[in-house]
Amino acid sequence: MGHFRRSSEPVRNQSTYSRMKKNRIRKLFIGLLIYLPLQYAVVGIVGYYDAEPWPAFVFPGFKSVYVYDDGFEITRTIFDVETLHRQRSHDMPPQELFPDIPLSQIPGFVRTHFSDEETVHNISEEGKAWLKSKAEEIAGFTPNAMHIIELTEYYRQTDEGAKLDMALESGRITILF
Amino acid sequence: MSLKQRFDGWIFNSYRVTAEGLALLRIFTALFILLFLIPGSGMAHFGFLSSLPLDFYSPPPGPLRLLDGFPSLEIFQIIHTILIVSLFAMLAGYHTKWASILTGISLLILQGFIYSVGKVNHEIVIPLVPVIMAFSNWGVAYSVDFWRKKRTSAPESWPLSLLALFIAAMMFTAGFPKILGGWLDPATQATQGHLFNQFFIRERQALLAGWAVGFNQVIFWEILDWLTILFEIGFIIALLKAGWFRMFVGLAVVFHFSTMLVLNIAFLPNFLAYAVFLNWDKLFRTFKTAYSRFSRISGPKSGDRSVFLFTGVMLILFLPLAWISRREFVLTQSDLMLHEFVLVTAAFTFVVFAAVKKASVLLSGKSG
Repeated sequence: MGHFRRSSEPVRNQSTYSRMKKNRIRKLFIGLLIYLPLQYAVVGIVGYYDAEPWPAFVFPGFKSVYVYDDGFEITRTIFDVETLHRQRSHDMPPQELFPDIPLSQIPGFVRTHFSDEETVHNISEEGKAWLKSKAEEIAGFTPNAMHIIELTEYYRQTDEGAKLDMALESGRITILF
Repeated sequence: MSLKQRFDGWIFNSYRVTAEGLALLRIFTALFILLFLIPGSGMAHFGFLSSLPLDFYSPPPGPLRLLDGFPSLEIFQIIHTILIVSLFAMLAGYHTKWASILTGISLLILQGFIYSVGKVNHEIVIPLVPVIMAFSNWGVAYSVDFWRKKRTSAPESWPLSLLALFIAAMMFTAGFPKILGGWLDPATQATQGHLFNQFFIRERQALLAGWAVGFNQVIFWEILDWLTILFEIGFIIALLKAGWFRMFVGLAVVFHFSTMLVLNIAFLPNFLAYAVFLNWDKLFRTFKTAYSRFSRISGPKSGDRSVFLFTGVMLILFLPLAWISRREFVLTQSDLMLHEFVLVTAAFTFVVFAAVKKASVLLSGKSG
């Protein structure tokens, strides 16, 4: 078997490049120095009007600050399923209803598909059947309706640690099965 | 020195690479992706995606909008198989350049479909590393390509400058929106707000998260806000010198370690890119010296065997870690995985050691 080796001398690349190759690489760098800021601007514009484009060379901004007065305001969504006349009900966070979706994608998934009435009401029969089967799996009964409830929670720091000040229902969309 | 000469110096001479060092980096990258960074962590997730009703196909603006829905499981299986085969080819150094590019493309396609549920995760560095490093000729040594006596080129260092440029630009995109969002406002403690969001809404409650939620020192949290922005924006300046950039990569490791402890977010994909800037040639020489000392074999054979030894050590460390991590019986208070915790902590420990060593060298130099 031959040896898988090369000289251990560090390579001084400059001397080994042909001028043409070096020019191409230089142009690549110049192109990227122009392209990267431009694509960032495009990502911002498209993201504002539609959604974040992909693929794009960006890292997450974590722009939000969640601050209100001297505490923190956080929004959560819960899925509440019930039988007729609410004989049985079960509420769950989205990560419980959609365990196959990575936690890092759950807020985006919920925002995209369940945050406005028009989108929810346009869910097809197939989509509703899928949601119903998912809810049935978790809740252990066959639901007649699913309420997507948006809660705004207000936390305050006290001497005993962080405390939930209040939670307000800030939105509710219902899907009937 | 003219501007052109300086620009050339930055592109071509900022980093020094050797064929041996690049070979070790190639092996490390292939194993790291294979065991820890495969999108979806297996076929089960793609089975789920292909079973989703059309309503839930929401690709981000871009090429995936040309499709009407998720592909069938068979298509996912084909792309997944291409990825695994190309990763093994990259590991062995077989048609290395094309295997690396194919690895990047198949990673990108799988990531794209995963993000088509309505949320993009920022993990593009995973495909970016093999695609960029393909042009470093990292298959020039300790590879099937070399063994087959295929014509190979000399190793190239400019891909490291290119990767540095990408990392710095992407770090800027993380820092700049924070300024616009009000992170620098002394009245807002944004990091603390994110902690609350992660802790209460996403239930990321492992490690120091519980302690941090109760820690209400406004100045501490405000300093963290400012440091985060300074560090992320500062990468652009650090790009000018390889030494500065390596220092910022070290700071990034410290930053991610602290983020992991408090927010339970590890950002493991970034570590694949940071690892490129390690001194792989020094690591090769360390392995070679250690092997020669123990086996009393020197010369070319010791080089071959020390690379096999390195691969073996990586497998011994990575395989059990990946296996245990998938069992998910530790860190149950969070979606943080055991392998993320171990690898990020190991990187942090390495950075601390390197910093202490560097500081002691500097101090002894001054006192001498």
